Amino acid sequence: MPLLKIDDLEIEVKNGTTVLEAALENGIDIPYYCYHPALEIVGSCRMCLVQVEGMPKLQVSCNTFVGEVPPERKVDGNFDMVVQTQNDLVIQERKNILEFLLLNHPLDCPVCDQAGECYLQDYSFKFGNAHSRFDEDKRVRPNEYLGSQIVINHNRCILCSRCTRFTREISGTSELFVDERGYSSKIAALEDRPLNNLLAGNVADICPVGALLSTDYVHKNRIWNLQKKSSVCQDCSVGCNIDAFYQKRKIFRLNPRENQDVNGYFMCDIGRYGFHRFEDLERVARPLFKSNGIFSEISWDTAIEKISNKFNGAEEKVAGVVSPFHTNETNFMLGRLIKGIIGTFPHIEDEEITYPSGFRISSDRSPNKRGMHDVCPSIVDDLASEINDKEIRVIYILDNEIDKEIDETWNKILTKMDFIVVQAYAMTRLAKSAHLILPGLAPFEREGTITNDQGRVQWLRSVLPNNGESRPDWEILNLLYKTGERFSDINELMKGMGEQFPSYSGMTFFKLGDQGLPLNGNLKT
Amino acid sequence: MNAFKPVLTEHIHQKDCHTLPFYKSVGGYKALEKVLAMQPDAVIQEVKESNLRGRGGAGFSTGVKWGFIPKDSDQPKYLINNADESEPGTFKDRLLMNKTPHQMLEGMIIASYAINCNTAFIYIRGEFYKEYQVLKETLAEAYQANLLGQGILGSDYNLEVVIHRGAGAYICGEETGLIESLEGKRGWPRIKPPFPAIEGYLHCPTVVNNVETLACLPHIINHGADWFKSIGSEKGPGPRLFCVSGTVNNPGVFEEPMGISLKELIFDRAGGIPENKQLKAVFPGGSSSAILTAEEALDVKMDFEDLVEKKSMLGSAGVIVMDETVDMVQACLNIARFYAHESCGQCTPCREGTAWLVKMLTRIVNGQGKPDDIDMLYEITDNIGGRIDFSKGSFGKTICPFGEAVAWPVRSFVEKFEDEFRSYISQVEAVA
Repeated sequence: MPLLKIDDLEIEVKNGTTVLEAALENGIDIPYYCYHPALEIVGSCRMCLVQVEGMPKLQVSCNTFVGEVPPERKVDGNFDMVVQTQNDLVIQERKNILEFLLLNHPLDCPVCDQAGECYLQDYSFKFGNAHSRFDEDKRVRPNEYLGSQIVINHNRCILCSRCTRFTREISGTSELFVDERGYSSKIAALEDRPLNNLLAGNVADICPVGALLSTDYVHKNRIWNLQKKSSVCQDCSVGCNIDAFYQKRKIFRLNPRENQDVNGYFMCDIGRYGFHRFEDLERVARPLFKSNGIFSEISWDTAIEKISNKFNGAEEKVAGVVSPFHTNETNFMLGRLIKGIIGTFPHIEDEEITYPSGFRISSDRSPNKRGMHDVCPSIVDDLASEINDKEIRVIYILDNEIDKEIDETWNKILTKMDFIVVQAYAMTRLAKSAHLILPGLAPFEREGTITNDQGRVQWLRSVLPNNGESRPDWEILNLLYKTGERFSDINELMKGMGEQFPSYSGMTFFKLGDQGLPLNGNLKT
Repeated sequence: MNAFKPVLTEHIHQKDCHTLPFYKSVGGYKALEKVLAMQPDAVIQEVKESNLRGRGGAGFSTGVKWGFIPKDSDQPKYLINNADESEPGTFKDRLLMNKTPHQMLEGMIIASYAINCNTAFIYIRGEFYKEYQVLKETLAEAYQANLLGQGILGSDYNLEVVIHRGAGAYICGEETGLIESLEGKRGWPRIKPPFPAIEGYLHCPTVVNNVETLACLPHIINHGADWFKSIGSEKGPGPRLFCVSGTVNNPGVFEEPMGISLKELIFDRAGGIPENKQLKAVFPGGSSSAILTAEEALDVKMDFEDLVEKKSMLGSAGVIVMDETVDMVQACLNIARFYAHESCGQCTPCREGTAWLVKMLTRIVNGQGKPDDIDMLYEITDNIGGRIDFSKGSFGKTICPFGEAVAWPVRSFVEKFEDEFRSYISQVEAVA
C-alpha cells in the first residue's frame, strides 16, 4: 500500500485513492465544491488545490491519485507522495479562488436558505477577504424554475456542475446542462424538458451553495431552528436512509443520508415530499368507542377491557390484520396475540423504477412487507375468504394507509363483524368503520425496526412527539396480553422477537445504528 | 549555408496543386508506400529521431506523443487531425488544407499506421467551409485511389478518415475540448490525467496532431530524420510556417527554417512596416503568447528556446505586428475581450477572471481607471494563469492552458507598457 504524507500525517492508503479522499477520511479539511463522491471528477472549481512535492503546479486533490512509486522515486526515501494542504501557498490559492467565486455572488446570506449549511459561507468565513476588490458591476440574473419543484438562483450559482452531472449520471435523464459559455454560462433546462424526474429533489441537496432550491422548503425556516434526526424513509421497500429536519411538531424537510448498502447518497421525491400527507390529518388522539353510530372518547383502561371481553372465550374467532406499513415489533405483537387467523390487506403494486446508476424506487410502496412476513409467518393468502370460512366475528386491524379505499368485498366483511378494532392515527375510512379506535402513532412518530426488500433491518426512529394520548403501536398491543406475557420495553420485545425468529436475534437499536444490519448477520451467537 | 527551399509550401503556387494527380506528379504518397513496408515502431522511431515538435502551439515532441499509445491495449486507437485553427493571427493550416491537402492526408495515414489506428478524424474549424469542400474532394480522390479504405495500396492496412466540422468555439482547438466536441458533447476540456494517449476519444487511446505537424511527416519519411534535423534550430528543427499579420506591408504565410530572426521575418519577408513607422510590439506566437517590445523583437530567433528565454513562446508562430500608432491599452482590452468571449466557463479562475479583466480594462479605456487598477491587473492575471516562473515551468491553475493563454499576453501588455496604462489613469486624475 502506498505511503502518503499529508501535512504531518503519515498514512497508508489504498492504491488509486485520491488525495482529497485520503484527507477527508483522515480528518484533514480540504475545501471543495465540484467534487462529489457519487459523481464523475471534473476538477473545475479549483478549490481543492494542494501542493504535491515534485510537481511544479498546485494540483487539484480530487484528481490526484496516490499510487506506489518505484524506490528511486520515493520522496524522502519512503513516501510515495508528500502533500501540503495548509501551507501559505495553498491557503493563498484558496483565497484567490474564493475571491473569483464571490465576485458576482450577491452575498445575500440573510435571505438564503442555504445559510448555515453553505460551503461558500463556511469557506468565506475561513478564507475570505473582509472587503471585495471587485469594483465593477455584478452579473445579475433573475431566478428561474428548472422544474416544478426546483428553482435556480443564478446569482448564487458557482457552476460546479454537480447538478448537471447528477442528471446525466445518476438519474440518466440529462435535463440539466450548462447553457451559454464562459462568463455567461448558466445552468438550464429546456422548456419542453423540465427537471421533473423523481430524483429531481437531490439536486438541491448536492448544490454546495444556495443556487438550487426546493420550492417545498424555500423561505420556510432557518436551518439553525431545526432539529435533525436520522431515520428511514417509509415510502417504499427500499428504505432509503434519511435525515428528518423538524421544529416542534412539524417536519420541514427530509434529506437523504448516506448508506452505501441501501440508497447511496440519494432519495426519490416520492419519499422526500411524502411527509406532507401526514400533515393536517384529522388525528385520533384518544381511544374512541362507537355507540349508536357516534364515536365518543373513552379511557385506555375501558378500551382495553372492552377488547379483552370480546376476545375472551372466542380467541379462535378473532382475526388480526397486520400491515406492511408497521414495524416488525408491532406486527410481531399482533401476530403473537391473535389465535384465530392472521392476514393482511391485498397490496397493490406500483411502478418499479430503476435508474442507470442503480438507484431504485420499488414497486412495493410499503416499507416493511418483508419484515411483516418474517415475523408473522402464518399470514394467510386470502384473508377475505378465510374470514368467511372460519366465521370470524371479531377483527383487529392495524390501520394501513391514510388514503386506503375500502372495496366491496371488505365492505361486506366488515358489516358482518360483531366487533371491529382499528389501531389508527387518523380518522381514515377504515377507522370510521370501527367499533373501537385505538390511537397509535403516525409514521414519523413511530420507533422500531423495518426490514427492506433486500433483507436489511433498519432502525426507524421517531422524529415527532406522540400526539395526545396516543401510544406506540406495539405498546397498545402489549396491553392486551396477560400480565405475565407482556414485555417491559421495546428492547425486551426485540429480544423476544429474536428468540422466536432467529434471523432477528441479537438485534438491538444500538447495534443497528445508523446503517442497519443484514438479516442473519454476524449477530447470531 | 544553403539557401532554404520551402518544403511544405514548395508547390502552392502551381495550378491544381490541391489535386491527387498533381501531388503524385511531385512524388506524393511515395512516403506512404515506404511506410507500409516498415514496422509501425520503426516509423515512430524515425519521427522521434527527427525531433519534430508539434506545430499547434505547445511544441511537444510528436514521436514521444505517439510513443505514449499503449501497445498492448486491444482497444481501437484514434488519430485526430486538429484542423481547428483558431488562434488569432494564425492562418497556416488553412493554407495547407487549401493548397496541399494530400500532403496533410499522407501525413495522417503515416501517423495512423504508426499508432495502429484504423479510424482517423479531421476536426476542421467550422468557418473553414471552402477548406471543408476541398478536403471532401481530397478524401474522395484518396478512397478512389485506394489510399484510404480497405487494404491500402495492396497492404493489409485499413484506414477510414472522417471529417468533422467544429461549431466555432476556440476552446475546441484544445485537444481534450476537441475530443469532447467530437464525441458530441460540450467543448469543455477534460481534466488530466488521464491523457488522451491513454483515454481519449470514446475513452480509447488517441493522438491529436496539428495539420502542419502531419504535413511534415511525408518529408521526414522521404528524406530521413537527419535531413529534417539539419533544418533550422537544433532543439526544434524543421521548416515552419510563419504567419505574419498586423501593421506590415506584405502580410502572409512564410515558410522558413526554425530559428529565423523575427527581424528578418518582419522587415524582409513581410516587407516592413507601412510608411516607415516604428515597430512597437509583436506577438511572436499567436495572441496567447506574451508580447515582445520592439527591442526584444529585433533580437530574437523564432524557435522554441529563444522565445522562452524572452519569456514568451513560439506557439502557433502567428506573428502579429503592432506599430507605434497602436494604443496598447486598447489592444490589451481587445485581446482580453477575445479570451473572455472564448473562455469555456468550466473552471473558476478563467470564467470569472477573464470577465473581470474585461470589465476593468473597459473602465480604464473609458477614462474611469483608478491607480490601484494596475496592481489589480497583475494580481488578476497571476490568479488566472499563475505566476510565470520560466525556470520551473508554468504555474497554471486551470484545467487547460487557456488560463495561461489569457494571463500571459495581458500581463505582458501591462508589464511592458505600464506607462500607457498609467497615462490613461492619470488623465482621469487630472480631470478630477
